[in-house]
Amino acid sequence: MGTILEIQHVSKFFGGLAANSDVSFSLEEGMIMGLIGPNGAGKTTLFNCITGYYPPSRGDVIFKGQKINGLEPDRVCRLGMVRTWQKVRPLAKLSVVDNVMVGALCRTNSLKTARELAMEQLKVVRLDNKPNFLAGGLPIGERKKLEVARALATQPQLLLLDEVMGGLNPAESDEIIQLILDIKKRGGITQMVIEHDMKAIMRISDRIVVINSGEKLAEGTPQEIVNNPEVVRAYLGDFHA
Amino acid sequence: MKLTFALIRTSAGTSPVATALGVAILVGLFLFPNFVQSPYALHIMILFFLSTIQGEAWNIIGGYTGQYSVGHAAYFGAGAYTTMVLMQYKQIPPWYGMLAGIGIALVVSLIIGSICFRLRGPYFVLASIAVAEIMRLSAMNLKDLTNGAEGILITEIPVFKIGETVVTDFLSKVPFYYIGLVIALLTILVTWMVQNSKLGYYFQAIREDQDAAHSLGISLSIYKNIALAISAVFTSLSGSFYAIYIGFIDPPTVLALDISVQIVLICIIGGIGTIWGPVIGALVLVPLSEALRSNLIAQMIFKTGLTSEESGLGIFLKEHLAHAHALIYGILVVVVILFMPDGVLGWIKKLTAKKGRG
Repeated sequence: MGTILEIQHVSKFFGGLAANSDVSFSLEEGMIMGLIGPNGAGKTTLFNCITGYYPPSRGDVIFKGQKINGLEPDRVCRLGMVRTWQKVRPLAKLSVVDNVMVGALCRTNSLKTARELAMEQLKVVRLDNKPNFLAGGLPIGERKKLEVARALATQPQLLLLDEVMGGLNPAESDEIIQLILDIKKRGGITQMVIEHDMKAIMRISDRIVVINSGEKLAEGTPQEIVNNPEVVRAYLGDFHA
Repeated sequence: MKLTFALIRTSAGTSPVATALGVAILVGLFLFPNFVQSPYALHIMILFFLSTIQGEAWNIIGGYTGQYSVGHAAYFGAGAYTTMVLMQYKQIPPWYGMLAGIGIALVVSLIIGSICFRLRGPYFVLASIAVAEIMRLSAMNLKDLTNGAEGILITEIPVFKIGETVVTDFLSKVPFYYIGLVIALLTILVTWMVQNSKLGYYFQAIREDQDAAHSLGISLSIYKNIALAISAVFTSLSGSFYAIYIGFIDPPTVLALDISVQIVLICIIGGIGTIWGPVIGALVLVPLSEALRSNLIAQMIFKTGLTSEESGLGIFLKEHLAHAHALIYGILVVVVILFMPDGVLGWIKKLTAKKGRG
């Protein structure tokens, strides 16, 4: 098991504000890494730095041994790293299967192959019953699944999920948890998950990184994280620690 | 031929009635000049083809890729001027001029694309207008090359020969009719091919959400430029065709902002991002603007007997309706945009869908 992603001393400044400052950690192949932290801690900014939407102000992002900071998101995707969006971004006027095909076309030029790959991924997220629905008309739970299917269709080795359970009811969340665990079981895809639902993140993560005010606060197994007084203080304040 | 059938079949559904209708229309279009000799009717048809070409061309970048260029006069003018300048000063026949026009338009599109595609939304629209205006002002002032505001007039088109056989001498409108028809069919075919390929999927993904498209491995700069290049090629072709057909160009008729707006309107009225939208748009707009310009509407009102030609209102209509054509045209466009947000094609689709359910 090698290291698939290394984040080395990454900082991102917006003017004088440090959205991320000196964050370092690495991901082993096949694991699920949980990324947690209070609102505004800089989790999504870190995702944006890793996937090429912002170049990091300082530090390096190393994917499969290759330095990728400064690469455009489309290049990063073709290298095998794909992300989903916290605020879902369906291609609203395209059908569900067409949405996923756009992802699949990253690896093939044939529409026929892309359609087969897309249907496969729709089966994985259990959306294969409505391939011809317009993506814009799906309820939020299914839009989140569509995001995942579309990302999977690009055949990534590293999948970054930005709050895929946000806004879902418990039953839908459970489905997504199962989906993430299934992806891990099938192998070949490492996952990094931003999530606010503590029960969910504790259940799925092999390791967890906690970010607070842009800095890495702690890293460890879920058990270590819940027992870390610093983490409890960040979430609940001094009184509870 | 196989492709033509496939084209008709996929776009009209698999219904055999629709296929038969498509073939009938196609055959009818090719036989049209055999039955109709009126130069005015042919002229209207040629304008219809011209608008279809322009509309389909803009549709690729505006309708499919969602980049609302309001500067397509730049490519229209590039085609028109290249063809005319080469014919005027170098006696190069227009078919070679057309090809040269395509080359120039491609270069212009790559320059415009690499600058303007850094901008998004309304900023891109403004930049596209600005670039077209630069082209217009250049054509105005580069008098040695373009003849400035006087424009370029050609009185004779070289006879089109293959080997020693004379194909056509361009003395009637019929050859123009067929050239227009073939180019129009070609643009529809290309649009169909784009829609049913990876390009079409990528263009539409960019239209729906640029950031999402970017994250799925789509290079925004490359695919936007491809879309603009395809669009520029056909817009330039329409410009060359217009120049040869009319025989006269000057900056206001081929490079002005209202040409750009007109091109956009064909798509918006017909329905953007669909193969047949621009055809419908041309079908609505060309007869409409002709009818308004030629006072046909006033004549029709007199015929229905609503008011007589001698009454005060009648005289007023006769005097002013033709002059007000731009106003009426504008009002109609606003009405269509307000009440048919998906264009005439979208409106028809909605109506037939309702009927199907009821």
